[in-house]
Amino acid sequence: MRRLPHNPALALLLAALMSVWCAPAGHAGSAQDQPSQRWFEDVTHKAGVAARHHTRRFDNPYAEIMQGYTRLGAAVAVADFDGDGFEDVFVTDSCSTCKNHLYRNNGNFTFTDVAEKAGVANGNDEANASAGALWFDYNNDGLPDLFVVRFGHSILYQNLGNGKFRDVTKEAGLDRYMNAIKAIAFDYDNDGYVDLFIGCYFQPINIFHPGTPRFFPESFENANNGGGVVVFHNNRNGTFTEVTDRVGIHTTGWTLDLGHGDANNDGWEDLYVANDFGTDRFYVNNGNGTFSDKTETAIGFDTKKGMNADWGDFDNDGLLDIYVTNITDDYMREGNFLWHNNGNLTFTDISRETGTDDTGWGWAGKFFDYDNDGWLDLYVMNGWVSAGKESYVPDIFAMVTKPDIDFADARNWPPIGDKSLSGYQKKRLFHNEGGHIFKDEAARHGLDSTRDGRGIAVADFDNDGRLDLFVTNADDEPFLYRNILPTGAHWMGFLLEGTKSNRAAVGAQVRLTANGQTWLRYVNGGNGFASQSTTRVHFGLGKNTKITSIEIRWPSGLKQMLPALPVDHWYKIVEGQATTNIQPWEAKR
Amino acid sequence: MIRNLSYSLSVFLAVCLLCGPARAADSDYQQAIKAMGSKDYANALHYFESAITDDPDNLRYSSEYRQAAIKSKDFDRSLNFFEKLAATKPQSANVHLNFGFAYVDKIPVAGSITQVILANKALTEFTKAVELESAWINFYTRGMSYLFWPKVFNRAPMGVADLEKALKIQAAGPKKSYYVKTYLALGDGYWKTDQLEKARSIWREGLKQFPDNQQLKERLDRQGDDLQKLIETNFDPNKRVDTDLRELWTSSQN
Repeated sequence: MRRLPHNPALALLLAALMSVWCAPAGHAGSAQDQPSQRWFEDVTHKAGVAARHHTRRFDNPYAEIMQGYTRLGAAVAVADFDGDGFEDVFVTDSCSTCKNHLYRNNGNFTFTDVAEKAGVANGNDEANASAGALWFDYNNDGLPDLFVVRFGHSILYQNLGNGKFRDVTKEAGLDRYMNAIKAIAFDYDNDGYVDLFIGCYFQPINIFHPGTPRFFPESFENANNGGGVVVFHNNRNGTFTEVTDRVGIHTTGWTLDLGHGDANNDGWEDLYVANDFGTDRFYVNNGNGTFSDKTETAIGFDTKKGMNADWGDFDNDGLLDIYVTNITDDYMREGNFLWHNNGNLTFTDISRETGTDDTGWGWAGKFFDYDNDGWLDLYVMNGWVSAGKESYVPDIFAMVTKPDIDFADARNWPPIGDKSLSGYQKKRLFHNEGGHIFKDEAARHGLDSTRDGRGIAVADFDNDGRLDLFVTNADDEPFLYRNILPTGAHWMGFLLEGTKSNRAAVGAQVRLTANGQTWLRYVNGGNGFASQSTTRVHFGLGKNTKITSIEIRWPSGLKQMLPALPVDHWYKIVEGQATTNIQPWEAKR
Repeated sequence: MIRNLSYSLSVFLAVCLLCGPARAADSDYQQAIKAMGSKDYANALHYFESAITDDPDNLRYSSEYRQAAIKSKDFDRSLNFFEKLAATKPQSANVHLNFGFAYVDKIPVAGSITQVILANKALTEFTKAVELESAWINFYTRGMSYLFWPKVFNRAPMGVADLEKALKIQAAGPKKSYYVKTYLALGDGYWKTDQLEKARSIWREGLKQFPDNQQLKERLDRQGDDLQKLIETNFDPNKRVDTDLRELWTSSQN
């Protein structure tokens, strides 16, 4: 059985050599500089954010298999809800009596859970299970509002600005039964208000007391009986109208994540839909309030288990790329997608060539520059169920090899009991080695936990220019990792505020040039499975201390040039305001 | 007994080659080859099917038919054809063998779960072939097939057992160049069953028989993670396994 010629080792070697030869000026402070040090510190308990996640126990004939699906609900979302300059954290739980958490940042890397006081703790009951969360300023008042994504009825909380929130779901027109798992908000029609895109896993049936056993995926590879995507247009008066069909988003897949970005730099945000049990979808924004499904030409039709869709320009070529996690294990060799943007609304998967294809049973995967060297790194969650020594794989395979099996019938799915499935998998921290290959540095930095990771929120919780991580784990405690990078690599960051554009500036792109290199970063409205990172725009600059130019492209179309600002500071920029005498931004406390 | 088994395939092949297939089958086969030459896959498949229907035990016809199906990406046509043929010729080991290969041919273009289903069906057909005829090709093929299964299914020991039988069969007869595959696969099987020393030993033995074989040298040169990567790359279900059997009739003694 002769194999086809294949030599990935050679390709990687060439890539590694190229990365050494081609490293631009400013490639400093990299992991090689101080190889023995750990650059992240686990401060979960010290910071007071260790409350664990709990799965839901169902009381229906499919309870054993259903419990697993609330393992999806360990989510985290970051925003500065009280405007004190320090990023706060909302974390979901999923059991019927469990409370969600709103961790207010005390400004000293400790947090206080104010969810009860704020009125946002009650995200779970017998008929609803929290599955995700999204901060977004739906009424453009400058205060991030909170959308709690649920299996059941999701909730929109208006931020009242006094530390309290008010449930405005019904008056906003968002009261609808959806088995929602993910929401992102961006201004698809550039009318100055962000719109809401909701990804749903199951169809909109009551999964707590289903009237039929046929509510599971009909196929492992081409299932089209999921919840799909629901789009709500922001009416700019505090209400929303469902426009899913009108905007041309037609998918009934088992959606797990949504990610937006401007793939062709035309000023209109495009959409990637990561679907479990089948084909991911890619929608191009037509610039007239509608999208076109360009899946076939952009990425092709896959049969994998899409879990995550994060956008970032990992190779600094001025085009946003996309990272999608799938399932890669001994028994299922799907491989992830690292979709390299070809610049013509097509993408090429280079996950194998870059060493980012195998992350086990993947969940959230987030781009961020942890060592401020100017290259976006990747942190990836993984693991489905870490339980007993026995594996669930033979049970699943016994099911799938039965002739004429009806996968949609939940009764055919074997109970998992205490068995493990892709459990005890080590998380991956991929250091970007010059935009060509990635090297796993998770163990070195203590980020290789074997808990069943789900969401990752990236934010600078102490405003020191080093990006920290909040990680959620299914049925377990989360992690808060403080970045203590010692290299002194330089950085710069921006808090953007739209005026003509949506106030949160979602979709705004910043291009920063120094020493002949231009970096592109942008404001995203919640990309990544079970998580939302900061909306602040962060640049690692390596050894660069002098900036040549800074250009902001606002969603309104305005292009604003900033003067060469000093590095190692955050700056607040308001759309269209004078750019002379810009001072570094500092938190109020 | 073993000696008898070992010669079964070669005798069969010799008979095929010396006597040739039935005239009608040969005519269809020639038409198929002609159609392949002009990349007219639809006609090629049609004539191959006619030839195989007239001479179902002919490994060459079936192998070349499957390669045509791969080129035209008409995997389901090939599967349907062999399914019907196996129903009408249930006692033909070669039909079951090729039916199994038709499943294998489709694996790289299938989704991850369908891959499992196809691999399982292929294994069923390979087992029928083994049960019908204890030939080297049948043991080798099923043994290799077992090695592709994830560790959790514990099928590698069954693969080792089959490959050990294939080795005995080949040892009893004249040497063929393709017999090097057994050394490679059996070593991989030992490696997969955590018998590294036995793996290295069989690769060394293979190298004595086939001193120019680079794959054996490469395995013996590598250790630890490097060796693991090399072997695992060989069992990636997303890569096409070469199921072209032409070596069986083109191979010289080595």
